[in-house]
Amino acid sequence: MSAEISITGVGKAFDGRKVLEGVTADIHAAEFVSVLGPSGCGKSTLLRLIAGLIPFEEGAILVNGEVVTAPSAAMGFVFQTSNLLPWLNVRDNLLLGINLDAGAQRLDEAALAELVETLGLTGFEASYPHQLSGGMRHRVAIGQALARNPQILLMDEPFGALDALTRDRLNMELLRLWQRDRKTVVLVTHSISEAVLLSDRVLVMSERPGTIIEDVRIDLPRPRDPSVTREDPAFGDYVVRLSKLMGVA
Amino acid sequence: MTRALFNRDTAISVGFFLLLGLAWEYGVRWSGVQAYLLPPPSAILAELWRSRGPILAQSLVTMTEVFWGFIIAVVLGVPIAALIYFSRTAKRTVYPLFVALQSIPKIGLAPLIVVWFGYGLTSKLIMAFLFAFFPIIISTLGGLASTPAHLEEHFRALRATPLQTFWRLRLPAALPSFLDGCKVAMPLAVIGAVVGEFVGSKDGLGNLILTASGSGHTTLTFAALFAVTVLSLLLFYGVAYWERFIWWRAA
Ligand SMILES: Nc1ncnc2c1ncn2[C@@H]1O[C@H](COP(=O)(O)OP(=O)(O)OP(=O)(O)O)[C@@H](O)[C@H]1O
Ligand SMILES: [Mg+2]
Repeated sequence: MSAEISITGVGKAFDGRKVLEGVTADIHAAEFVSVLGPSGCGKSTLLRLIAGLIPFEEGAILVNGEVVTAPSAAMGFVFQTSNLLPWLNVRDNLLLGINLDAGAQRLDEAALAELVETLGLTGFEASYPHQLSGGMRHRVAIGQALARNPQILLMDEPFGALDALTRDRLNMELLRLWQRDRKTVVLVTHSISEAVLLSDRVLVMSERPGTIIEDVRIDLPRPRDPSVTREDPAFGDYVVRLSKLMGVA
Repeated sequence: MTRALFNRDTAISVGFFLLLGLAWEYGVRWSGVQAYLLPPPSAILAELWRSRGPILAQSLVTMTEVFWGFIIAVVLGVPIAALIYFSRTAKRTVYPLFVALQSIPKIGLAPLIVVWFGYGLTSKLIMAFLFAFFPIIISTLGGLASTPAHLEEHFRALRATPLQTFWRLRLPAALPSFLDGCKVAMPLAVIGAVVGEFVGSKDGLGNLILTASGSGHTTLTFAALFAVTVLSLLLFYGVAYWERFIWWRAA
């Protein structure tokens, strides 16, 4: 199986300071891959490089066999800071990506209602971002990426600011969506247990300049469910192993 | 809204201005200052009522000058600001040109403009325009430049065209700053029009002030000044009204 996203020897410096060095990884179609690493090690930067948002000096990134030079419609991005337009309501924010792209497939009312329902935003379609809670704003941002139905979903700590309960619920939703649509997902997260719960593989990065120090395959049965999977002794083993790699334990 | 009229803040404002008026009224009476030097507010109010016909008519003239001067300042100022923002050449040519023009005392230009454009509406409209133009350019520029970088990146990730990014991101992001500029520009436009009327005119509130004070009619001068102030306030709040359409700014 050829890789959908192929990263080879990628290096990136900002103002002469190395942020990424020799990053190599293959991510296959329909794979769920998480990236773990200390703050400032270049996780967001790596995701931006994959998305074609910023240029880099060393190495190469191929997506679907083609060199990445600019953002492509195949990829949806959920940024670390929620990027809603304050002057658009939830509905229009969800549809922003589609409305900006003449070639994008329109979302019919039923599909939109389903998306809103999945995000737990029913009844808030006409609300503006300043009327939403922080977690709701994150959900709209995730919905905006999902609405375009991209083949690859790049997510930068999309649940970072959420409470544990909401996080679990959204993790479940994400799992459900992923099991249904089989998108390729690259998720940056700080949460080791979240990474284990969701992923097929976890890439662990070093301190800056960031490089991938370990590629851990998570062989837990699917479909997964937060309450069931966490009881699995293998789950605990993975968490311990990753914690050691991260130097937390 | 009706309830807001009777709240504590309003009461304090009204009370303050009433007190100020009373102090003026009795200050003038007790000190024995002559009415042709400083008339009491009661006399000014009476004069406003007596001369309401001409004052209203002249207010309408000045308002028309200010209105069109301001509109033209917006219609020309916004595209010019956009041009300066997007074109490096314009930033090095048009922008310093306008900064230099702004540095010319516009009051000194007024006689020239009257010579060029006559005693009618046009010269006053141009004066109002000149006063309003610069704040509108500067505020629009500031607004365009204040577009959050993370939103620009987001639009790039969504593969928005430059035109889409302009209309759907930069322009709305610039609105709050633009409106602040308009709030500065509007009272300036009133000053511009009145200065134009001072220098050469057949009518308008500035003309009324000039003729009234020239003939020693101090009370009418004050009444006309009062009318200018009210006009300026009305136009200012006419601009501020549009803030409800950028409700997200407060959030
Ligand atoms: N646009 C930029 N200009 C200069 N330096 C940058 C820029 N973006 C990131 N950096 C630097 O690159 C390094 C990595 O940043 P990055 O945002 O990728 O970290 P991260 O791993 O996502 O951290 P966190 O977990 O805190 O989000 C940091 O030291 C940061 O200062
Ligand atoms: Mg980050």
